[in-house]
Parts: sequence; structure tokens; C-alpha cells
Amino acid sequence: MSNPPVSAAPASRQADRAAKVIPEPIGLAIAALIFSLAIAIALVAQHRANRSAAEQAREAAQGWGAAFAAGAWKDHDEFTSRVAATRPKVVVAAGARDAAGAVQYAWKAPQRAGRESGTVEVALRDAQGAAAGALVVSYAAANAGALFPFVGGALVVSLGVYWYLYRRLLTHTLPFAALERSLRHHAQGIEGDLRALQLSDSLGTVAQAWNGLVLRIAQLEKQGGAPAEQSDALRRFEAVSLRTALDRLPVGVLRVSPDERITYANAAVARLLGRAAEELTDQVISDVLDAERVRPLLSASRRPADETLELPDRDGQTRRAMRLQVAVPKDGEPDQDRLLVLQDVTHLREMEQARDNFLYHVTHELRTPLTNIHAYAETLTRPDFDDEQTRKECYNVIVSETNRLSKLVEDILSISQLEVGSLRLELGDVDLLRLMREMVQDNLGAADEKGVDLTLKAPPKTPIIRGDKRRLAVLLNNLIGNAIKYTPAAGRVDVSLLVEGRWIRVVVRDSGIGISEADQPKVFEKFYRCARDEVQAVAGTGLGLAIGREIAHLHGGDIRVASAMGQGSTFTVDLPINAREEE
Amino acid sequence: MSRVLVAEDDPHILRVVSLWLNRQGHEVIEARNGIQALELFERQPPDVLVTDINMPGLTGLELLDRIRELGGADIGVVVLTNRWDHREIGEQLNERGARVIPKPFSPNELAKVVSEMASRSAGAAPSGRE
Repeated sequence: MSNPPVSAAPASRQADRAAKVIPEPIGLAIAALIFSLAIAIALVAQHRANRSAAEQAREAAQGWGAAFAAGAWKDHDEFTSRVAATRPKVVVAAGARDAAGAVQYAWKAPQRAGRESGTVEVALRDAQGAAAGALVVSYAAANAGALFPFVGGALVVSLGVYWYLYRRLLTHTLPFAALERSLRHHAQGIEGDLRALQLSDSLGTVAQAWNGLVLRIAQLEKQGGAPAEQSDALRRFEAVSLRTALDRLPVGVLRVSPDERITYANAAVARLLGRAAEELTDQVISDVLDAERVRPLLSASRRPADETLELPDRDGQTRRAMRLQVAVPKDGEPDQDRLLVLQDVTHLREMEQARDNFLYHVTHELRTPLTNIHAYAETLTRPDFDDEQTRKECYNVIVSETNRLSKLVEDILSISQLEVGSLRLELGDVDLLRLMREMVQDNLGAADEKGVDLTLKAPPKTPIIRGDKRRLAVLLNNLIGNAIKYTPAAGRVDVSLLVEGRWIRVVVRDSGIGISEADQPKVFEKFYRCARDEVQAVAGTGLGLAIGREIAHLHGGDIRVASAMGQGSTFTVDLPINAREEE
Repeated sequence: MSRVLVAEDDPHILRVVSLWLNRQGHEVIEARNGIQALELFERQPPDVLVTDINMPGLTGLELLDRIRELGGADIGVVVLTNRWDHREIGEQLNERGARVIPKPFSPNELAKVVSEMASRSAGAAPSGRE
């Protein structure tokens, strides 16, 4: 962006205007002062010269008067020749009057007529001392007549000083006046463009500094969207903030030009593809996303697409589910680039999978007791099976399968309460040791059936805790039940109860199939079941441990697992002895 | 009297099926899973196989394939399926000539189907048995 040329014409016109408006009282005052001073000096000098001239004239007159008294001169000629011979230079005329006042003698300096500045009068006395008239002498100061040239000179000098000062002041005050004027115009809206506020550089450093300031402001205003360049600045601004926003998106965004090259890749897409964003730019899109199903989507140029694809993960081994959406430009749109939006939906997929698994297992779990109830009930209705033993067996199966059903329904209910966070404890005093004995007792049948050795180890007496007996029973039952389920025949399940300070610890250790390190944190997630065959072969909803953990947490306790593949698992539950009173 | 091999991992279902088939006069051989069923099959092929679709170790579908491979082409097969995956698996089972009975089922109906199959196989290959 170059500075606009400063046009000199308007600036100098402003200077002219300024010259007219500037009053110059200081210069004028100084000039007047100088002039008055000069006049005063001249007048004093004049006065002094006059006084000295009067002295000389009086002295000469007294001399001539003494000569008269001595009778040294009697007639006119004698008088004039004596005056002319002895007069000081200041005396320009001399005359004598008799006692009656009549002029008897008179003399005048030939070239100095009309210049006398004063007269002195001396009384004449004869030899006897009687009054014989008066002697009148006119004088003129030596510098008389020099006053006018002097005053003229003083006037010229003071005018010169005035002029000099005026110029000096003008150079300093002109810019300010111009500045004031243009600012006033700007404020009144007469000059919209800031650049019009520039002054002529001839106005000196103040003007130059001011011009620099104005240009800077004008530039800033332009960048910030001065009306003329607004769209450009706005576009730049939008481009910057859009880019920032796109880079912050958790969704991958790629822009692909009509010739299939990537023109923009945001930070998320770089993360998803495991490459640097700069590295992606300018690449051909099919080199970057070359999965078989992606290629046709990208080359089928003008059609929008929305598909979920399996793309290799960064490690190149696992695959991740990616949702790819292609947004195509409308015909005639200025921007003909396609926009590709890439989202990692692997987790979503896993959740969907977990939900499907859950439904599958729930229905399976529901169906088995239902099938039994249906089959045994039908058996009861047939006369072929009317022997007491068979009928009793049928009743027992129907009752136990009904219990199984209600347990399952309760689990599903718990998990849905857990989902909405409305699972509440019904607190009371719980003898955990007694509860554990009951739970172990309940599971002995299942353990025996599997050939698993189930044992309980506990101190003879343990503190009573505050808790929800029904929920704690569910927690213990789930742990013991799981241990038996995932322990093969001839294995063992050891349940123990310990008191550690203010905590009661329940440990359920089995010698079963174990849980891989990767699966260990996930086993407490709802619906999660390990993908291993040994696990899938066993019926389950993936809810037991999720419910168990929630129950432990609601009691202010915690649950954790330690395990190794093929070497069994140990679940540990810590419950506070003084469980907090529920809110 | 015909031999019926029943493969089912739920003990109660296994029990009730045995009960009904026994009452119909069949000899019932019980297997708790697919692998056990395959072993029992190899020892002495039955006239009819009743199998659950979901079993640990070997599924009903896999068991069926293995049995067909082992020469049991003519054996009548009833597969107890879950309604949930009935549709997907139904076709595959039909292709293999198996009869599908979804759970929950009527033991009476199952017994009838098995008896039909047993009499058919007895009629089809009487010479082989004598």
C-alpha cells in the first residue's frame, strides 16, 4: 500500500488563507517598542544638546554684555564684528535693545536662519551700572535637524524587526492555524477523507510530523475497512477468522479444487490422516484418501456424498470408521472448490455396536427364561407328564426362570436409572459379612454345577455399615456371579472381606480366563463385553459391572480390577464404614 | 425307535426337550455344546439332530456344516433359533435342509416335527439300518 501523493496546491492555499487570518500583535508591539525607544533616545539627546547650546549662548551673551559695560563696543558694526568673531557655533542670531526696548543692533548667522531652538536674554548695563537695555541671543543645538532622519531610521529598523519576527512567527503558527482549520472542517464533515487534512510540507517540521500522523491514521482506517476498500479488508478479516475457526473444529475439513488438488486442510483433518496440514496442501486428493470406496466419491465430480468408510488408522493396522461428506458448489458459484468433511465416527460405531450387542444379549437373555417357562408350562398341561416328580420339576423351573426374568428386568431398569442418573440408595444398617455369606450361599449351586470351588474368608465380626442392602447384594452377586461365569471347571473363586481403617474391603479373586489390559478399563462401561470367544460364549448383558461400579460410587466407595490374560482376575471393592448420609 | 441327538447349552431346555422326545419313544442323546455334539455324532450318527443355534465352542450352523461334511447328508435337522436373528440365519439353514423352530417353542410341536423326520429317515433308508 503506497502513500497517496500529497497534493501541494490545496496545502499552499491553506497557508495563504492562514496568512490572512493571522494577526501579528507581538511583532507589532515589539516594533512599536523599538520605535518609541528610538524616539525617546532621540528626544533626550535633543534636550541635552539644547541645554548645552543655551549655556553656551548665555555665556557668550554675558561676555558681550561685560564688553559693553567696559565700553568696548558702541556701534552696530563694532557689535556685529565682535559677535561674528567671538560667537560660539550654537549662536545663530544676536541683537540688542535699549532701555526703552527699541532694537539698536542685530546680527544673524548667514546660513542658519530659522533653525534656532531657543533664546537667552542678558541685561545690559553701562559703565555706571545703570540699565542700558538687553542683549538677546538666539541659539541652535549642534544636532538640530538630525532628529527627523533619526526617527525615520528608527522607524525603518523597527519595521524591519517587525517583518523579521512576523516571518519567524508565521512559520510556526501557520501550520497550527491550518491544522485548526482542517480539523474543524473534518469535524463538520466538510472533508471526509483524512488525507485532506495533510498540510504543505513547506510549513515546516510541525506540518511534516502532522502529515506522518495523518497518513498513518488513514492507513489504519483503510486496513480496518475504510469505505472504499471495505470489501477487501473484510474479506481478509473473514479469511483469517474463518481459518482460525476451521482449525478449531473437531471435524476434518478439506477443500478440493476442480483439478482434484487439496487447496486447504484444517488441523483436524491433518490429525485424522496423521499428516501435517501443510503436507496435505497441493496434493491430489486421491493420493491422500485412496481407499477403494473413496475414489469414486471424489471423482464422481459433481455429486454430493455422505458415506461412512473404513480408513486405515495412523498405525496402518487398525481401521477407523470415518464419515465422509462431500459438499459440491452450485453452478455459477464463484468458488468451484468442493468441500470434504471428514469425521471419525469410530466411537459412535462402537457405541452403536454396543447398543446392538446389548439388545441382542438382552433379547437372548429374555428369550431363554421365556422359552423355559413356555415349555415347562406346556408340559404341565399334558396328561402324559402327570407324575409328581415331573410336575414338581416343572414348577421349580418355572419359578426359577421367573426369578431370572425379574432379575434381568431389574438390571435393565437399574441401567436405565443409571443412564438418567436417578439411581437412589435406600440407606439402612447393613451387616456386610452376613450379606456376603448369603451371596456366597446363593452362588454355591452355580459354582458346584461348573466344578468351581467357591470360598469365603472373613473375620468373625465386621462393622455394620450404612448402605442400601438390596443394591449391595446386587454388587456382590454380580462380582461373584461373574467370577464363576468366567472361571473354567476345576478353577476357584475366593471371596474375602477385610477391615482396613475406616474402610471395608471386598475382594473377589478367581482363577478364570482373565481380562486383557486393554479391556480392563472398559469392563465397567455399560454394555461392554470383551470380543473374545470365551466371553461371547457366556450369556451376559454387559451391565453387571457397570451397575456394580455405580452402586460402589453411590456408597462413596470404589471398585477396581487387576488381571492378566489366562491368570484370573481380582475385583476389589472399597466401601466406607461410615457411608455418607445420602443427600 | 430312532436316535435323536439334542445339542443345547441351557440345561432346562435340554431337559424339557429330552423329556418330550423320550415320551414319544425316541432315544435321546444329550450334548451340552456343539463340540460335544460333534463327538457324539462321530461316535454314532443319529437319525435326527436337534440343535440350538447359539452355543459356546461351535454354533449350530457350524455343527450342521461339519455334520453334512461327515456324511450326515440325509439326517433330519431341527435348529432352535432366536427370533432376533431368525431372518438372517433362516435362509442359510433352509439352504442346508434344516428345519427352523424359533424360541420360545412348543415342545409338543418340536416332538411332532422330530417324529415326522424320524419316520421319514426310517422309511428312506431301511436297508442301511438293518
